Amino acid sequence: MENIVHARGLTKLYGNFKALDNVDLDIPQGAISGLIGPNGAGKTTTLKALIGLCDVEGELEVAGRDPRGARHKLMEDVCFIADVGILPKWLKVRQILDYVAGVHPRFDRSKAEKFLATTEIPVNKRVKELSKGMVTQLHLAVVMAIEVRLLVLDEPTLGLDIIYRKEFYDRLLNDFYDGDRTIIISTHQVEEIEALLSHLIFINKGKIVLNSMMSDLAEIYTEVVVAPDQTQQAEALKPIHIRKLLGKSCYTFESVPRVQLEGLGELYTPSVADLFVAKLKDHRDE
Amino acid sequence: MNNFMLSQFITLLRREVSEHKNLFIWAPVVLGLLIFVVDFLIINALTEVDKARAVEWLARYFDGGNPVDMSAVFVFHTLPFMLILHFCAILYLNTTLYQDRRDSSILFWQSMPVSNLATVISKVVAITAIAPLFYVAVIFVLYAVGILWLIFSGMALGIDVSGLGYMFISAVWSLPVVYLFALTSAIWLLPMVGWLLLFSAFANRTPLIWAIGVLVLLLFLEGFIFDTQFLSNWIQTRSDPDNFIIVEYGGLMDRLFSYDMFIGIVVGSILIAGAVYMRRFID
Repeated sequence: MENIVHARGLTKLYGNFKALDNVDLDIPQGAISGLIGPNGAGKTTTLKALIGLCDVEGELEVAGRDPRGARHKLMEDVCFIADVGILPKWLKVRQILDYVAGVHPRFDRSKAEKFLATTEIPVNKRVKELSKGMVTQLHLAVVMAIEVRLLVLDEPTLGLDIIYRKEFYDRLLNDFYDGDRTIIISTHQVEEIEALLSHLIFINKGKIVLNSMMSDLAEIYTEVVVAPDQTQQAEALKPIHIRKLLGKSCYTFESVPRVQLEGLGELYTPSVADLFVAKLKDHRDE
Repeated sequence: MNNFMLSQFITLLRREVSEHKNLFIWAPVVLGLLIFVVDFLIINALTEVDKARAVEWLARYFDGGNPVDMSAVFVFHTLPFMLILHFCAILYLNTTLYQDRRDSSILFWQSMPVSNLATVISKVVAITAIAPLFYVAVIFVLYAVGILWLIFSGMALGIDVSGLGYMFISAVWSLPVVYLFALTSAIWLLPMVGWLLLFSAFANRTPLIWAIGVLVLLLFLEGFIFDTQFLSNWIQTRSDPDNFIIVEYGGLMDRLFSYDMFIGIVVGSILIAGAVYMRRFID
């Protein structure tokens, strides 16, 4: 499948601080990709670089364009929602629709209005009068009405209650995603979006720690609940992470064939959250 | 420029007006109301006899006169508006590329398919060409209401008010001059426009202090290193009101097509380009 994002050697320095350190990244078109990392890992910097909002060194192509050259052209194909309410607070809901309709060639106003009608957002209110959940809903309504190839979401549901969060992802999946469009979501609430994802990226300290299709994870990573008498054999196979679980030891292995592990205990495919901890711990020890 | 780009640009202008209603619309409206109230109080304080005499004098003064010649007095009376317009323009230019960075809404604006060039140009056009239209509209209402009121009070006092019709035409004739005057003044001051925008796009806080501070530093450095005052002389001539306050068409054209004007446009454009460049990558 064609990659909608292709990056090689992306580097971003803020003074002496390396926000991005030689990042290679490929995201296939049609993927729902999760960009997971702790605070300050470089998630926002990566996403901003993808849409041309921050200058980076390295090779970068998004939707067939270099975002650093023609951001405004790229934004015809790409939409962006950020955690902090970035909708201008002084605008009325109706004025936002007016504005986007005026500047975006692929915006379908009636679609956005239909979406808004299913919410409790009043069109004559200003953004600053809306709750945080409503602002996110409004932004989603705008974005869903735009025919784009790539949607970039930077911690979109941060600070929202569970009902808004759930509805946000439901709508995204049911009304926006069509199998052809690509969605990149950065978050640190892994559990909530795990089920949505078809592609996974871990980032830590400006470096990509994992970049894989979800479907490949089961082949690469195995979690084994090792019986107490087998720990020595298990350790010989170089687990990337060991954690204690109700008195049992849980070992995570990378690229060790399952046949070799079968004798050690019960085998599982690690959850994204467990894998995240394992990979980041592994990364920290380097 | 195709149709879509044009309608996109109009949307950008509309955005500027609705974001800065205070500077574009309410400032001239409040000033207009203030002037109206003061005039009203003054005229009301006059005795009937004095009032009749004043209206009669005005009717005779304007009667049969050439509106083009007579309009100068009306242009002159808009100076308070021009003063407020320039003040609002400084405020606007200095904050417009700063405010949206401060409240993060720049991420929304930048997520739309609008180039930084179009954004910055729309801001320059909004304050130099669109804002004066609102000011002129308010001035028109002020003049129209004022003259109508004179006509009615004259008629009530049994005075021949036909000369006041000429007064009205002269007042209307002054409006395009006022607009062109505002426009010419803005083009003349384009280096200042660019300078303010540059620091509006650059500063992480207090853009006005940056804009003034760097200028003062440059002036100081020039004096210190070269022992010359080229820059301060240039700024002085640029900001001398005699050089851009123009009350009739002839002066307007001379000013518009002068060598000095051209230099200003070049310097201003370079500074505006700098602001566009600054805007490109904000972190």
